[in-house]
Amino acid sequence: MASLDGAKYIAGGTDVMVLIRHKKLKPKNLISIRNIKDLAYIDTANGLKFGAATTHSDIDGHDVIKRAYSALTDATSWLGSRQIRNVATVGGNICNAAPSADTACPLLVLDTMVSIVGPKGTREVALDDFFQGPGKTVLEPGELVRGFVIPAFGENTGSAYIKHTRRQAMDLPIIGIAARVTISVGKSTAVLRCKDFLCTMESTSEILQGFAEEELRCEDVRIAMGVVAPRPIRAKKAEAALKGKVISEKLLQEIGEIAASEASPRDSIRGEAWYRSEMIRVLVKRAILRSIDRIIRPDDTVYPKRLW
Amino acid sequence: MKKELTFTLNGEVIRAEVDPQWTLLYLLREVLELTGTKEGCGYGECGACTVIIDGQAVNSCLYPVMEAEGKTITTIEGLASKDGQLHPLQTAFINEGAVQCGFCTPGMIMSAKALLDTNDKPTEEEIKDAVAGNLCRCTGYVKIIDAIKTVAGGR
Amino acid sequence: MDNLTTLEQKLQLGLAIQPKVNMESLTTVGQRIPKRDAPPKVIGAAVYIQDMKVPGMLHGKILYSKHPHARILKLDTSKAEKLAGVRAVITAADMPASFRIGVMKDNPPLKTGKVLSMRDEIAAVAATSPEIAEEALSLIEVEYEVLPGIFDPLEAMKEGAMLIHEEAKSNVLKMPWKLVCGDVEAAKKESAFIVEDTFSTPWVTHCCLGTSGCIAQFDTKNNLTMYSNTQIPSLAQNDYVEALNTFGFKNRRVRIIQCTIGGGFGSKLDTYSYEYIAIMLAMKTRKPVKIIFTREEEFFATSPRQCTITKISQGCDNEGRLTFREMEMILDNGAYTSWGATTPSVMMLPISSLYKVPNVKYTAKCVYTNNTYSQAMRGYGNPQATFAIESSLDQLAEVAGIDPYDLRLKNANEPGEVTPQNFKITSCGMKECIDEVVKRLDWKGKHGKGTGRGVGMASLIHVGGGARVYKSDGCGTIIKMDDFGKVDVFTGASDIGQGSETIVAQIVAEVLGIPIDDVNVINNDTDICPWDVGVHASRTTFVAGNSALGAALKIKSQILEVAAKLLDEDPVWLDIKNGVVFSSKNNEKTTPLGKALRKVHYTLGGKMLMAEYFYDPPNANFDKDFKGNLSVSYAYGTHGVEVEVDRETGQVKILSYIAAHDVGKAINPLLLEGQIYGGGLQGIGYALGEKMIYEKGELKNGNFLDYKMPTAKDIPPVQAVIVETDEKDGPFGAKGIGEPGLVPTAPAIANAIYDAVGVRIKDLPITPEKVLKALKEKEKKGS
Repeated sequence: MASLDGAKYIAGGTDVMVLIRHKKLKPKNLISIRNIKDLAYIDTANGLKFGAATTHSDIDGHDVIKRAYSALTDATSWLGSRQIRNVATVGGNICNAAPSADTACPLLVLDTMVSIVGPKGTREVALDDFFQGPGKTVLEPGELVRGFVIPAFGENTGSAYIKHTRRQAMDLPIIGIAARVTISVGKSTAVLRCKDFLCTMESTSEILQGFAEEELRCEDVRIAMGVVAPRPIRAKKAEAALKGKVISEKLLQEIGEIAASEASPRDSIRGEAWYRSEMIRVLVKRAILRSIDRIIRPDDTVYPKRLW
Repeated sequence: MKKELTFTLNGEVIRAEVDPQWTLLYLLREVLELTGTKEGCGYGECGACTVIIDGQAVNSCLYPVMEAEGKTITTIEGLASKDGQLHPLQTAFINEGAVQCGFCTPGMIMSAKALLDTNDKPTEEEIKDAVAGNLCRCTGYVKIIDAIKTVAGGR
Repeated sequence: MDNLTTLEQKLQLGLAIQPKVNMESLTTVGQRIPKRDAPPKVIGAAVYIQDMKVPGMLHGKILYSKHPHARILKLDTSKAEKLAGVRAVITAADMPASFRIGVMKDNPPLKTGKVLSMRDEIAAVAATSPEIAEEALSLIEVEYEVLPGIFDPLEAMKEGAMLIHEEAKSNVLKMPWKLVCGDVEAAKKESAFIVEDTFSTPWVTHCCLGTSGCIAQFDTKNNLTMYSNTQIPSLAQNDYVEALNTFGFKNRRVRIIQCTIGGGFGSKLDTYSYEYIAIMLAMKTRKPVKIIFTREEEFFATSPRQCTITKISQGCDNEGRLTFREMEMILDNGAYTSWGATTPSVMMLPISSLYKVPNVKYTAKCVYTNNTYSQAMRGYGNPQATFAIESSLDQLAEVAGIDPYDLRLKNANEPGEVTPQNFKITSCGMKECIDEVVKRLDWKGKHGKGTGRGVGMASLIHVGGGARVYKSDGCGTIIKMDDFGKVDVFTGASDIGQGSETIVAQIVAEVLGIPIDDVNVINNDTDICPWDVGVHASRTTFVAGNSALGAALKIKSQILEVAAKLLDEDPVWLDIKNGVVFSSKNNEKTTPLGKALRKVHYTLGGKMLMAEYFYDPPNANFDKDFKGNLSVSYAYGTHGVEVEVDRETGQVKILSYIAAHDVGKAINPLLLEGQIYGGGLQGIGYALGEKMIYEKGELKNGNFLDYKMPTAKDIPPVQAVIVETDEKDGPFGAKGIGEPGLVPTAPAIANAIYDAVGVRIKDLPITPEKVLKALKEKEKKGS
C-alpha cells in the first residue's frame, strides 16, 4: 500500500469524485475502502464505537445512536441527500476536513477519539487535535482512520446539532452549532415541571425563566462551531462560563456572546461574517435548549413544533 | 487499460470491459446504451443519475465503475416487467401528472422505489426526504409526492 | 349554449356543413388526462438531445474567456489542432467578420479583438470524443491584456465612462422604452396619498435539468439539419438560413428536428452562439457535430432572467382609487444583447394595466456592462415589474390607511374595460381570484397582527390570448385522416414539457368525437409541421388550441359530407361519437368512422381527407407609442401567502400558499395544476433564495449546491385554485397559464413579511440576512 504513489483512498466518493471532476485532485490510483467490513461496524455496547466507513445512512437508521448521541444523528440525517448519505462515510466527512463538515461538530461535543491505523502502527487522537486547517488533518501518508470512539454518557446528558441552512436539503451550513449538556435539577419535582414548560408554546424566555426557577443546572457542557473558523472548533471559554451554573436566559445570552468572541467567521458567497456571528449567539442558545429538551423528554421532541 | 467487471444489472449478470476511470453513469449511458439514467450535473447535486445499488439509491455520476463489482444494480429500464407491464410507480407518475419535461423522472422514480422497497408506508416527510436529492424545475414536486403517496397506499 | 358556433364564426372557416360540438357533455376537454408523452419518459425511453446520436458524430467544446474585459493579444490553436482525434479548431477568423446574432446584432458567436464578458466564446474544437475536445481546449494558447471592467450599470451610465462596445456611441442602448398614458404630473397633484421607493431584482437562471445542446449536420447539398431544443423552430430556421447565407451556403434548406426537451422556461427562445459554432464546426469537418453544455456552462454561458433596478411611485385619492403609476427602470444589459433588453415591452403590461390606473409613465434604460446578458425567462419581465408594483401598492395602502385587500378590490380590473395601453379586457376573474385568496387565507383573521406571522397578497395580469410581439402571432395545424378512423395532427406548436401536445389532442378528439388515443400529434420537425411563431407568451393553449380547433372543425365538416353521402342522410343530423358516425334522426344510419374513410379512399375518383388551418389571433402589434391590444384576452391571478418570520435568524417560513388563477376554462385541470405548482415554486425560489452571484463579472455559484433552487423539502403547503371565466375567444373558453404561475409570488411574500414583522425587503432575494438586518435597524429606530 505504501508503495502506491499518487494513490488516494476513496470510500463513498462523494468528495473525492467531485474533486477529481473539478480537476483539483488527479490521483493515479484510487484505493477503495468502501467494502472493507473491518471499517464498517457500529458497536453500542459501551459508549459508541463505529468504523470510519460507516455511512451516514447507517447512522441515521440506528435508534440507539439517535437517542443517546442525538447530535450525530442530527448531522447524518441532514447532510446532502439520501443518495449521498447512502454512500458517504463519516470517516470521509471527517478526513475531508472542511470547516463545514457536518459530523465534525457533533463528534467534537461527544468527546470523540479517532483511531488511526498506518504503516507505523495504530494511534488514537482526540478529534479536537485531529483537524489542522481547511482540508488538513494529522494523518500521515499511508495512514487511514479506522474508526471513532465515543464514551458512554449518563441519563442526564443530551446533545443536538443545528445546521443553519438556506434550503431544507442539499445544502452546506451557513454555520453549524453542536452542544452536549449534562444537567441536574435542584428541586425534586423539577423534572416534571420542566417537562410541562417544554410542552407549551411559551416563548423561550418564559421557558428559561421556568428552568431558572427550578434551578436547572448545567453540570457539564461542550459546544462546537462549524464554518466560523478555518476548522471546526470548540467554544471552550463559553463552556467554562456555563459549566456548573444554573441555566437562565441571561446566562445563555452571555454564553452566546462568549462563543461568538471565540469565532472568526469570514465573508463568503455562502454567508456574511456579521450574520454568522449573530447566528452563533442565537444557535448556541437553541442547541443547548434542544439538548436539554432531549434529556427531559427523550421520547417526544416533536411536539410542539418549535423554532429550536 | 481495461479491466473486467461483473455485476447484476436489471436482473441479468453482465460482464463488461471497463476503463477504471469511468463512472457507473458513463458505463450505463455510453457503453451499455441505457440512456434512461441522465446526467444533470455530474456532481451528485441533482439526482438525475440515481440508480439503485444493493437496494440503496445512489448517484451513479459519483460511483467509480469498479465499485459495481458483484453488486446488484437497477436502472429505470429495469423497472417494468419483462412483458412490458409498468411498475406501479411508473403508472402513478403518468396518472398523477408528475411528469412534465421528464428529465428528472427516471432518477425520481428510482429514489421513490428505493424508499418503498424498504418502507412501504412512508409518511409525507419520509417521501420528501427520499426525493430531496432529486431536483425538479418543472413540477414544483407536488404531483411527484402525490404519485408516490398513491403507490404507498396512504394519502 | 353552443359557444363553439360563435367561435367557429370568429375563426371564419366558411364551412358548408357546420359541425356541432355538444358543449354540455364534453368527454375529453375538461378532463384530467395524463400527458401522452409521459409513458416513454417514465421508462427512460424518451430521447433528449443528450441521448441523441448520429453516425459519424463529432463532439464540440467551447473555450471561454478568462477575463471579463480584455484584449486578445495572441490566440494560438496550433497545438490543439495537432492533438490526435481533433478534427477542427475554429476561431473568429473562421466566421465572416460581419456576422452577428441577437436582437441588436451586436454579438459575434466567436469573439476577436476584445472580450467583453467571461462567457465570451473565443475558440471551439470538434473532436472524436468530448474528452479529447476538452483536452484540446487546454492546449489553446491565449494571451490577454486585461482591461478594467465595468460591472455596475450605474457606473456604465456615467459621463465619461469607458465604452463597452467601442463602435457604439454610448453604453446606454438605443431602445424605445417609453410609455405615457394620460398625465402623470397632473395626477400627482390630485393625489391624496403618494408613495415612492426603489426595488431591485437579481439575475436568476432557468435551471433546466437537461442542459442545452444541439447537433448540426449537413447533407451533400449543404442543407442543414439541426437537432435542437428550440422553443421557436420557425424563427430559428430563419436565423440559421441567414447564418448559412452569410457563411457562403446560399439558399439552403434548414430542417429542425426537436428532441424531447429537458426544460424550457424561455431559455430556448433565442438562438445562442453555441448553435452557430456547431454549424461552423460541422461545415469545416463535413461531419455532424454535437455540442452539449456541462452544468457549469449551463449556469454561466446561458442567458438568465433580466435583472432590474426600479424606481416606482404610485398615488391614490382619498377613497383609495389609484391615480397614477410612474416607473423608471435601469436594466443591466451585460456585454451583448438578447431578449433581456426587450423585457420592458412586457413590463408595460402590469405597469399600465394591473389594476385600474388612469395615468401611467414608464421609461427603461438598457446599459452595456461587462456582465452576463439576459434573455427570456418565464414571465419575461412581468415578475420583475410586478414585484415593484405590488410591493409599492401595499406601501400605498398603509399610507392611505386602507386594508391592502380593500385597495386591490377597489381598483380591480373588470371585464369590458379598456386599459390605458388599449388592452381590451374580455374575460376577467381578478376579483374572484382576490376573494379566493382572502377566503382561503383567512385574511380578515390574520392580517395586521404583527406577531411574527402575517399574510400578504399580490395579483397579476399577463397575456392569455396570444401576444403579437412579432408581426405574426400565428400557428398552423394540418390534420389528416387515415383509413382506420385515426387522425394525425401536425401542429406548429412545440411541447416543452408543459403538455401542449396533450391539449391539442384533447381539442381534436373532442371536436371529432373520437377517443383521444386515436389522435396522433406530430410537433417536432419543421419539414413536416406547419409554421408557428413559438412557445412563448403563454400562447400555446390559446393559439395552437384555436388552430387545432379550426382544423378539426374543417375536417369534421369533410367527414360529415362524405358520411352523408354514404348514409344517404342530411348532414345536419349527423355527428360522431366514440369513433362512430351516427344520425340523431335515424338510429339505423350509423357507420364506424374507419369504414367510412376506407370507402372514401378506396374508390374510383376517391378523396383524401385533409384540412389545414392557420390561426393568427385578432390582436394587434403595439403602435409607436406602445399602445394596442397585444392579446385577445388576458390572464389574471392572485397569490396569497401566510408566513412566519423567525425574528432571531431572519428566516422566513411559508405556512400557507394560495395560488388562484383565472384560466378561462381548464381544458386539462391535471396539467393546469402542474403549471401552477411548478410556476409557484419557481416564484418562491425567486423570492426567497435564488440569485446568481457575480464578482467582477465572474459567476461564483454556478452549481446546484450554491445556487439555491428549491428542493422537495422546501415546498410549502400550496393550494392551486382554478377560476373559470369562460373566455369566449379561447378554444373551449381557455386562456393561457404557462407564465402567470410565478408572476405575483415575490411581492405576495414580501407583503406577508411586512405584515408579520414590519420590515419590507425591496431587493430580491429575501434572504435571512436582509430580514435580520432590517429587523435590527427597525429595533434601533424604535428605541
